[in-house]
Amino acid sequence: MSSLSGENRLLFFPVRHHSPVCSYQLTRVIEKYRPDIILIEGPSDAEELIPVLTHEETRLPAAVYYFYKDKKKLVSEEAEDYKCYYPFLNSSPEYNALLAAKHTGIPARFIDLPYYELMINTSEKSGLRRAEKQDYADDTRLTQGDVYRALCGRTSVRGFEEFWEKYFEIGGLRLSPEGFLRQMHTYCLMTRENADPEELEADGTNVRERFMAARITEEMKSHWRVLVVTGGFHSSGLYELVMSGDVKPPKLHTVPADCKGAFPAAYSYEAADALHGYASGMNYPYFYDSVYRRICESGSHEGAFDGTALDLLVRTAKACAKKDLPAALPDVTAALSMMRGLAALRGVGESGIYELIDAVTSTFIKGEKTLSSSLPIDLLKKLAVGEGVGHIGDKSRVPPLITDFEEQCKKLRIDCDTVTPKTAECGLFTSAKGLAVSRFLHRCRYLGTGFCKLQKGADLRENRDRSRVREEWTYRRTPSTDAALIDHTADGFTIEEACRTAAHKTLAGERRCEEAAKTAVDCFVMGIPISDERQLLTERTAADGDFFSVGGGMRYFETLHRLRELYGYEDESAEELIGLCFSKLIAMLPTMANLPKEAADGCIKVMKHMSALTDSILRSRAGELETALRLMVSAPDRQPAVYGAAMGLLCRFDDSFRVEAERALGGYLRGAPEVMKQGAEYLKGLFSAARDIMFGENDFLRMTDELITGMSGEDFTEVLPQLRLAFGYFTPQETSATAKAAAALHDTTASEIRFGRVIDEGLYAFGKRLDEEIAEEMT
Amino acid sequence: MERYIKPPVEVRYADELAALAASDTGKRPENWKLSPLAVRTFILGGSVKTPSGRIKISRKFYGNDALVERSIITLAGSRGLMLVGEPGTAKTMLSELLSAACCGVSTNTVQGTAGTTEDMIKYSWNYALLLSKGPSREALVPSPLLIGMERGIFARFEEITRTPAEIQDSLISVMSDQILNIPELGDEGLVLARPGFNIIGTANTRDKGVNEMSGALKRRFNFETVEPVRDVKLEKEIIVREAEDMAKAGHIDMPVDTDVAELLAVTYHELREGRTADGTVVEKPAAVMSTAEAVSVYFQTVSHAWYYGASRPDPAVLTENLIGAVCKENKDDLEKLRAYFRTASKEKSKAGAVWKEYLGSSKLLK
Repeated sequence: MSSLSGENRLLFFPVRHHSPVCSYQLTRVIEKYRPDIILIEGPSDAEELIPVLTHEETRLPAAVYYFYKDKKKLVSEEAEDYKCYYPFLNSSPEYNALLAAKHTGIPARFIDLPYYELMINTSEKSGLRRAEKQDYADDTRLTQGDVYRALCGRTSVRGFEEFWEKYFEIGGLRLSPEGFLRQMHTYCLMTRENADPEELEADGTNVRERFMAARITEEMKSHWRVLVVTGGFHSSGLYELVMSGDVKPPKLHTVPADCKGAFPAAYSYEAADALHGYASGMNYPYFYDSVYRRICESGSHEGAFDGTALDLLVRTAKACAKKDLPAALPDVTAALSMMRGLAALRGVGESGIYELIDAVTSTFIKGEKTLSSSLPIDLLKKLAVGEGVGHIGDKSRVPPLITDFEEQCKKLRIDCDTVTPKTAECGLFTSAKGLAVSRFLHRCRYLGTGFCKLQKGADLRENRDRSRVREEWTYRRTPSTDAALIDHTADGFTIEEACRTAAHKTLAGERRCEEAAKTAVDCFVMGIPISDERQLLTERTAADGDFFSVGGGMRYFETLHRLRELYGYEDESAEELIGLCFSKLIAMLPTMANLPKEAADGCIKVMKHMSALTDSILRSRAGELETALRLMVSAPDRQPAVYGAAMGLLCRFDDSFRVEAERALGGYLRGAPEVMKQGAEYLKGLFSAARDIMFGENDFLRMTDELITGMSGEDFTEVLPQLRLAFGYFTPQETSATAKAAAALHDTTASEIRFGRVIDEGLYAFGKRLDEEIAEEMT
Repeated sequence: MERYIKPPVEVRYADELAALAASDTGKRPENWKLSPLAVRTFILGGSVKTPSGRIKISRKFYGNDALVERSIITLAGSRGLMLVGEPGTAKTMLSELLSAACCGVSTNTVQGTAGTTEDMIKYSWNYALLLSKGPSREALVPSPLLIGMERGIFARFEEITRTPAEIQDSLISVMSDQILNIPELGDEGLVLARPGFNIIGTANTRDKGVNEMSGALKRRFNFETVEPVRDVKLEKEIIVREAEDMAKAGHIDMPVDTDVAELLAVTYHELREGRTADGTVVEKPAAVMSTAEAVSVYFQTVSHAWYYGASRPDPAVLTENLIGAVCKENKDDLEKLRAYFRTASKEKSKAGAVWKEYLGSSKLLK
């Protein structure tokens, strides 16, 4: 199993994903063993992507992104979509195996089940079907069970990662390839023996190993020396299966081509970090990647860890200095001495990441270690995780959407090569570039890439902050950005096309005019014309029988119409759609007279908006509104607030309605107490549409005064909220004028009415004490 | 051997230190008695090979092994070691262990107080000799710092932040230049530190802000924060072990009751964390809930049982002793303790007879 002799036809090399020592020793093994083929654990449906990954211009971290849409319900009845990444770093042994195969001119193959089969053969909440699991490179098996705990206890280390670094990453560099292979096989065999057989079945390990063993057996027929590179956990299982000579591969399912796929995608160090949430691979990927790069550059493992740790230490000190934390040269020197001293004390050949963290803890934190004082450690860990994002060199296999995304970013000078959050400010109306950046970011947001977030700016959808002329965005590219773009691959070749298609799909699925109009607003901010969707929008509006939805839709269309010139939006469809909404509303308006009380405010809002439109873009249709309002007020049952609003609006068309409105209020005044209470609602509706009526030559003020003073205290309390709302439409000057006029009715002053009588402070205190004493006597 | 209430570490563990020194083949910093690796073994436990067989070295410090390793390396370098943390987290013990293992002396100590003066840190005079013979080496009374410099051993500075800041700062020149100048002695007054000299300071985080250390002095130390023991099982083990040692020293021949030790460990742990094992939030007392305090309460309870003829420590007496330990700083702490007993009664009354008896004694909390 570990012999590198040419006579050994099958050599298993167990690896830990992203491990520099595995990469180092694997390349040595390849040089020595000279295999005829290299078989690598990886979903076989990505085999065609191997040249893309090893392309000269590809910059790691990169990943293969797999997806499977379970439309045939082969995984579960839920017919869900599944996706996962197979990440590669410079330190990934699998990547180095692919690279070595390319350089030596031998074939390299991925031998695991296709991704969809992996999902079909995995039980719920197990293996790749765990909710948080999106990473194919999984090493959790190596870190589970009692074996490593016992080893950590015996070797006085704090956990598996430290154990691994000490004995494998640093210790393993000094071993011969044969010695390292023996050490790896021994450890992996121990973890395998501790595995639960039921779990192996549930997470698909058994079926995967049968498939891989069959592939190995098959390749051995045509190649003499076969090198198999798999996760350490599988090596012994595969060896037994292959040696048994009786491997029956599982039967594969037939899955439609559009339901599965694999694409190369840029990946980030942050996502590759085992601490990031996927619990696989190694912690601090940038640190280990740098170690491996150092080994490759110098051609020797000597000093690779020490040098990388020192680099990171210096960078941490610089990062601390930027944050005004004391980290001067003597601190760096003390940390270096601490790091080296700890390595010697612990018997580690060179300083690893844990010695570095300890050194920074001891020398950079001045005082008690708390959450706030631990910033140097946080900075160090952030640097050790890394911030870089990879790049796919060979674009032939890259989804065009990602290519377009990168081109647009480049053109608009948006930095998409880092996971560090960046900010972008765009003046919407000051330059064409500002608007272009805004549109691009809105498009990215619409596609659900998670790439950007609007921090400040107008929100036309929610009708907020419309006066803002600048937008402030934060953005950062993560693997999920690429994943989201890949998910939209079928929607178009460019971001704009994908947005257009996505918007069309959304519109096609909408039934309500208001929601369709919101999508039109989305198109507006993305700079995508809606003229092509005019038919669909017209249909949605025409078919919508909901007065409020059409009213909401009309408001959105008006916003688009009003802002089109400002935003340089070349589409005139909105005006037509406003007209259509208006027609629908005119037809429905008379039926709104007797609405439930809760819907009254919404109805009044639409009515007022319709009225406002007849003063601007729909001047010619004022007559239609007047007719509809007349029908409304002549209805037998009327909701008082809506009735009042209709009366108020009609005053605009015909002055005689002022008298009608006064009469109507008189009707409420003369009614029974319940009817009188409705008068307050009526006033609310009336004042919302025509508050100036209060200041005309009429009896409105006196009648309103009668209404209020004629009520019992209890009734007044009940209608008080309505009255507050009614008078809430008045400006402060109008409120003051009303108070003056009301004061005249009661022979008093306006300030007496508005602010009450001023009571002497001493008198108030005396009264209070008197009250308390009486209360005390009474009890 | 003569008996003492608390013999110094180098006396108490003389056998272990001798065994470690005899078998120590590691590289030693100049003037150190043991190599860093052997110091680690002395503090964190292990075993050594001797001609008469393997000798077990007991573990003396529990909690954070990496902290001990960092402390050893700090002391081997040019910076001082500052141990900070809550009271009762074994900072002083660790400082004594390090001094004893590295220099063979753990008693070269300055105790920091509000009344500590620069003389106590540097040097003072025997005034009779000073008057009769003038300023001379004979008349000089060296401080632990000066002794440390001259002999190449550690000087321990306890509770450094209790000392006024300007007095603390007298350490700066010694630590940066490793020189102490005694101007009264003229040309002979320059004392250069010998290899092996270093300073171990301890500071209590409860004293934070009383006499804040200057930035210049902080830069000359590596800081290590000693955390309270977070594991209840481990805390119980420490209580049992320490109480056993104290009982032995006090000639109390009574076996340690681990159930009662557990009551105490759980009570201290939950009050310190402000949360019970079931997740119920309880109010933290203002008093220090350290393991050292728990050991003291337990030993008090054992002594009570021993001298008043009881066969085992009584949980009710434990409760009474707890009042004295918890209700020191704030009168609200008694109410917090009562509230804890009420919460624990609901959760732990089914945990066993000892717990029932213990919680039943809550009426004594007054």
